[in-house]
Amino acid sequence: MLSRAAERVYWSGRYLERAENTARIVQQYSQLLLDLPPEVGVDWRELIRIFGVADSFAARGADDDETAILQFLLAERDGACSLAYSVQMARENIRNTRDLLPQEAWENINELYRFTRDSLALAAAGENRFEVLAECIGRCQQINGILLGTMSYLSPHHFLTLGQSIERADMTSRIIDVAAAYIQKNEQLVRRYGSTLWTNVLKSVSGFQMYRQYQQPQVDGLRVIEFLLFDPAFPRAIRACIDSALESSEALPRSADTAASLKSVQHVLDSSVVSGMDAAGISALMDDLQKRLAGAHRSVAATWFL
Amino acid sequence: MTLTNFNYAVGDYCDELIAPDGTPRPHAARLVSYFDAMEPRELVERQRAANSTIADMGISFTVYSEGDNIDRAWPLDIIPRAMAGSEWDRVEEGLVQRLKALNLFIDDLYNDRRIIRDKVVPADIIDSSNNYLEACRGFSPRHGVWANVCGSDLVRDRDGTVYVLEDNLRVPSGVAYMLENRTVIKRVFPSLFGNLNIRSVAEYPTQLSAMLESIAPPERADSAEIVVLTPGIYNSAYFEHSLLARTMGAELVEGGDLTVGDDDCVYMHTIDGLRRVDTVYRRIDDTFMDPEAFRPDSMLGVPGLLRAWRAGKVGIANAPGSGVADDKVVYTYVPDIIRYYLGEDAIIPNVPTWRCSDPAHLDHVLANIADLVVKPANESGGYGMLVGPHATRADHEQFRRRLAADPRNYIAQPTLSLSTAPTLCGDVLEPRHLDLRPFILQGEDVSVTAGGLTRVALRKGSLVVNSSQGGGSKDTWIIEDAD
Repeated sequence: MLSRAAERVYWSGRYLERAENTARIVQQYSQLLLDLPPEVGVDWRELIRIFGVADSFAARGADDDETAILQFLLAERDGACSLAYSVQMARENIRNTRDLLPQEAWENINELYRFTRDSLALAAAGENRFEVLAECIGRCQQINGILLGTMSYLSPHHFLTLGQSIERADMTSRIIDVAAAYIQKNEQLVRRYGSTLWTNVLKSVSGFQMYRQYQQPQVDGLRVIEFLLFDPAFPRAIRACIDSALESSEALPRSADTAASLKSVQHVLDSSVVSGMDAAGISALMDDLQKRLAGAHRSVAATWFL
Repeated sequence: MTLTNFNYAVGDYCDELIAPDGTPRPHAARLVSYFDAMEPRELVERQRAANSTIADMGISFTVYSEGDNIDRAWPLDIIPRAMAGSEWDRVEEGLVQRLKALNLFIDDLYNDRRIIRDKVVPADIIDSSNNYLEACRGFSPRHGVWANVCGSDLVRDRDGTVYVLEDNLRVPSGVAYMLENRTVIKRVFPSLFGNLNIRSVAEYPTQLSAMLESIAPPERADSAEIVVLTPGIYNSAYFEHSLLARTMGAELVEGGDLTVGDDDCVYMHTIDGLRRVDTVYRRIDDTFMDPEAFRPDSMLGVPGLLRAWRAGKVGIANAPGSGVADDKVVYTYVPDIIRYYLGEDAIIPNVPTWRCSDPAHLDHVLANIADLVVKPANESGGYGMLVGPHATRADHEQFRRRLAADPRNYIAQPTLSLSTAPTLCGDVLEPRHLDLRPFILQGEDVSVTAGGLTRVALRKGSLVVNSSQGGGSKDTWIIEDAD
């Protein structure tokens, strides 16, 4: 397999995953704001923090109200931070690797591209936001279903999974990071609304039902974080993402460096204890995980890409 | 009369399927009677089925500057164009003769230049050619063959004579559509194939692959690694690059995928590391191929590729510099070139052509421009030409000025009465003009496609068959003569 093709397939996986997660997070965040009273102190600027794009947003010098922030995160086509941009990049990468990917994936990413081009600016302004984002999520899942359901378990499949898993782990760590900040922000209010908040976090990764099967019925902050960090069975938990990335990388030639950096992430997960940690501790752990994920990406690029 | 359901009337041209008296030509008799028995409604339905097959198979071509939607469905008219096997055999002989002579010519130009010394072809024609590459001087590729893939455009005039209109020796395209047209038409009219002995075109990828292996460095012949070098997805022929790579089992690469090592060998970057490449079937123009040797600004090429080729470490098809014989002025000398190298008369004639570089010819062209087709020597795709009878007086005047300013760069030909074939227009059949591009391969051996790509001008009266300018295509059937 050509290095260039591997790179493009990997980025197809990453951008598709990023597009889906962006839609999920914005969707659930919009829902959360409807459920919580204003004094809990949840505001739209937190979204900018979740995505780690505070600098590029500030550089625009625009307002930081709901519409401007959602325009930035959903619709802006030039910025590298938006859902529209992720879809566009996923499409470019799939377009360039059409020989390796199922034809239907190309047709469906085109449809998603046309859909986002027409509807995201309106969604940012508040119109049909839930429907539009739900459709984005559904279409991404459809494409993933096509890819994972029809591609042979050969190198292109492994690169796709690798990109997807690394991106997904990164996104989950961001969701945990921001949610953890609320533990301390206002203890009294959080005690009252905590269950709403954590239910919401779980729903943003479609993890509510899986959590219920994994844990006891009540939704508890630290338990949710443990679930999203350590559960080897839930596909959006960081542990499961890393296991999957490791499995894919080990199916590829010359995988020693990448495997080592993924194992270092596993090691951090194995040796971390969340109970008793405060928000700062959790935040530091997420930073560490994100840096190690970036390291894993670098060794993927150095080993296999042009 | 025939095709009465469709109100078909042969025009004032030679029709490929129907004789002037309205009866089917012998080789097309069964084909025509099949359609004769069909209701227009059914034929329209089959065309629709063909169109959706084309969409499903993703058979497309790329048009520049169409914004986001860069792929267009390939236009295929479902009525095949047919030729008799006995006629084709003679054409095939002529094409082989022509390519052999052209390759001897190119090899001579870059080496001894006997043909110039013997004053058969004037030196200034070569020296002023944009496609002559000094960097190729004093080298001879394997088998002495430069143009390994040739697409020659054939046309039939009113009297039935088949002419070569031009030879495409640089990066001729269209063969993928020949293959796909056949696949689609087989699905649309399966029963016709059972009843007729139609020559297959499906061997092309195997023949191409064998040819490319035959030009790999001899010590690598056993397990030659072949790649197709494409400029990328925005190229109008990307679909073809991808299809040929896929059907040959070769990698489809871009310039950035290849690198030339200190050992002058060409390598491609794979996830297993560097892998040696033995033959590059390049689908990018000469001067973009190697920024080290030609255009330093080319982002498409591979630095050092020419060096690797001259060192005998890699085969390149077509060889750099082979375009020197793909020049409309050189074209006018092809009958002389054939006689010079092979001692034979050309089997397929050239279209009579005036060279504007010759003052007497130029005078004739300037005086008769309204009746002539004027073509620039170096363009392809039907760009930059003047069809005198279809142009305005202002156009004539503009071309007169261009010719006077740069005569070397133009040739002129009579407006040919291109042959026609029945083509589905709405729910009737009408005659539309067409040409034919067969593909000839030369490496160690020579092979010719059975037929080729028939291109058809879909607009009534139009002679422009290029798909970028509203042309369509037809499946081409070489039908064995009945015993």
